[in-house]
Amino acid sequence: MTFLHPWLLAGLLAAGVPLLLHLVQRREPPTVVFPAVRYLLDATREHQRRLRIRHWLLLLLRTLLVVALVLAAAGPTVRRTGVTGHAPSALVLVLDNSLSSAAVVGGTPRLAQLVRAADGVLARATPGDAVWLLLADGAARRGDPAALRGALHDLRPSTTRLDLGRAVQAADEVLAGESLPGEIVVVSDLQASALGAAAARAPVTVARPEGAVPPNVGVAEVAAGAQPWSTDGGQVQVQVVGDSGAQAPLSLTAGDRPARQALATVGGRVQVAIPGAPAGWYALRATIQPDELRLDDQRVLGLRMAPLARASCAPAGRFAEAACDVLRANGRLLPGDDIALGGFGASASVVLPPADPASLGAVNRELERRGVAWHFGDPAPAGATDSSSILPPARLFRRLRLLPSGSGRTGVLMTAGGEPWLVRSGSVLLLGSRLDTAWTALPFQAEFVPFIDVLLNRLARGEVASLEVAAGAAATVPDLVSAAVKGSQRWPLEGGGLFAPPDTGLYFLVRGTDTVGALASNPDPRESMLQQASDAQVRALWRGATVVPLDEAASAAFAAGARGDLRGPLLWLALVLALAEVGLASVWGRRT
Amino acid sequence: MSEGIVEGFLSGLHRSPRRGFSVEFAEHRMYQPGDELRYVDWKMLGRSDRLYVKQYEEETNLRAMIVCDASRSMAWSGAPGVVLPKLAYAQRLIASLSLILLRQRDATGLIVFDDEVRHVTPPRARAAHWRQLLGTLASTKPGQGTAAAPALKRVVDTLRRRGLVVFVSDLLLDRDLALAALRFLRHRGHQVVVLHLMDPAEVTLSGPAEARFEDPETGTSVVLRPRDWAEAYDRTVRGAVSDWNAACRRSGIRYHRIVTDTPFGHALRVVLADSSA
Repeated sequence: MTFLHPWLLAGLLAAGVPLLLHLVQRREPPTVVFPAVRYLLDATREHQRRLRIRHWLLLLLRTLLVVALVLAAAGPTVRRTGVTGHAPSALVLVLDNSLSSAAVVGGTPRLAQLVRAADGVLARATPGDAVWLLLADGAARRGDPAALRGALHDLRPSTTRLDLGRAVQAADEVLAGESLPGEIVVVSDLQASALGAAAARAPVTVARPEGAVPPNVGVAEVAAGAQPWSTDGGQVQVQVVGDSGAQAPLSLTAGDRPARQALATVGGRVQVAIPGAPAGWYALRATIQPDELRLDDQRVLGLRMAPLARASCAPAGRFAEAACDVLRANGRLLPGDDIALGGFGASASVVLPPADPASLGAVNRELERRGVAWHFGDPAPAGATDSSSILPPARLFRRLRLLPSGSGRTGVLMTAGGEPWLVRSGSVLLLGSRLDTAWTALPFQAEFVPFIDVLLNRLARGEVASLEVAAGAAATVPDLVSAAVKGSQRWPLEGGGLFAPPDTGLYFLVRGTDTVGALASNPDPRESMLQQASDAQVRALWRGATVVPLDEAASAAFAAGARGDLRGPLLWLALVLALAEVGLASVWGRRT
Repeated sequence: MSEGIVEGFLSGLHRSPRRGFSVEFAEHRMYQPGDELRYVDWKMLGRSDRLYVKQYEEETNLRAMIVCDASRSMAWSGAPGVVLPKLAYAQRLIASLSLILLRQRDATGLIVFDDEVRHVTPPRARAAHWRQLLGTLASTKPGQGTAAAPALKRVVDTLRRRGLVVFVSDLLLDRDLALAALRFLRHRGHQVVVLHLMDPAEVTLSGPAEARFEDPETGTSVVLRPRDWAEAYDRTVRGAVSDWNAACRRSGIRYHRIVTDTPFGHALRVVLADSSA
């Protein structure tokens, strides 16, 4: 006999409760003066023996009732004898085709080994079974075993990561609605980094490959710092992770420019200089030498090189002017009139509330004349900017409401108290507060200069940042974007909506024919760590799980159907015992 | 209180004590033509120069002896303040009964006992005798045990002629000895009435979920759950009452069970109806 939840057997200690109560109840009761004790003695003399038997029977029934309930809760099963095959069962087969399954071990892709084991499990399924296949995408597909076996043969390694704990939990939820005895079979390379805790009610069988895993190195991160770069080039930081501490040759290419070589230490970061290039968007690729797992050998990032912004900052006040001087001194800004910070320029403008309230009408009229969809409104209460990717929260002492001139409300880049604070309409940016300490504490903050950099070099020029998202995940695209493009493929998008890249790689975000940003989809760096979890770790995280080698997966599957579940009979026994207890306590009690 | 009970109870009942000319002097009255001259009190005529005739109580009137159990168990009440203790109930019942008997010119006596005989008041028929009985009853305190046989035997000494014996007790005593004494009284020609007093809480068993029930007289105790034993107890009590009733009937003894929440008038009616039968 085995138990699905053997730890619940600790509840058998509760079987001692009736006996304990019996002993506790034997304490000295209160004394009642009663002259007719002789009648009581006469009455009890006749029934004392029967009462004692009744008390012991009640004690026995109550103890057995507790034992039956605890055993039922622990889920006892016994192997059916004299029966071939298995009883109809519900089985969820979790097949881990995550990125790590693409590793080649002993000349064979790991996924092929996993698929073979999974196929053996499905081959044992009968038409009476309910079978689901759960892959790295997290979706449980139900189908007849033959169809699912067919799907296995077309299976390819996914670039996404599979959290095995979540997968087991999801499988258990699928089985929760099934009346058939259920079980979960996990066929996985059992990557330690993919193992999460799960509390499944159904029994879990884990089929894992045996033997050593190959050493692997992957590119975990590529960081290009603040973008856009000037056409003079910049520095890229690359992190390489893996199972070995060896050094890995690294190659970086920006578009079709000549590659830059470097030697990266596994687990460390390496900085590589990328030479200047003409203004434009580039696919920055960091590549290491091919190893047993190819899918993590390259990582991509969108890189924007552009001439430095030429801006005049004087109208914005002395704090903005000082920030612009710092940017100029560090090669992030050039003097010029392409962008006017604090006033209206010939092309791009960053318009601030006028220092003199009397000028507000004139400013709004100029905005209207230029066709700007926003204008300044009445003063709003002090507060702080809401957190955003552009700027962390900054205190605001004064601000003017930014009101849409039409019915639309597009172009909101930042908010304060839920109301627009930084908006864009065409080539004009409107800021709700002046860049002055009388209006905001921002000039005192370290983020002030980077904010001016972003404002002038990116936002005022109508460009969005280079974004990155893990494979399989979705990202919110900026409201300027109308489509994503990769090679010859194009995905129309609605600005502000979600976009889940169908595959890893670099997607350029465009507005009309203009490229305004890039979205890189790269594998989760944890997939590069191929170390396997031990059987003990599996059992610790999934209580009661059975771990078997891959070649025993088929024979271990459908154990629930091959074993008799004793929960039903035990619950019936508990019911009978409860009824007997009630009958004995009431009916016989009246007879005494 | 007893007078009130009796006044209310006697309305409609035989009330006139029959005055006759017997050996026991009762009172004087003015001479009327036709009265026999032998009953004229010549001494009164000499002192007052008026004619009075003497009147005497009839010798045929009843002589009654009431035997009251004043043991510890009689002092118990299942609902103190709501239901009288059996002894208090017995005291009021005996006071009322004796008043009725005395008003009928029946000589009435009283024996109070617990584990021994405490008071013996010989039967008298004078009206003032009731006050004496009341005094005895009022001074009665509950004793410890119950020994009815010696008290019943004392009746033999005080009732030389045939009379009425009323035995008031909760009958929580040695049944065989008590029955033997009662039969002996019956054998001597006395009319015997047993008034078995029971508290309502002795009729129906109740109490906490589990309790140790202790006899105040003997200290004997038993631990049980009243809920479990209520029916068995009820059967036992009914059996005991039935046994007493049967045993008394066989010996020509009248037996009445009186629960102490019964109105006194009802109890008196039962007793007197029986004694006049």
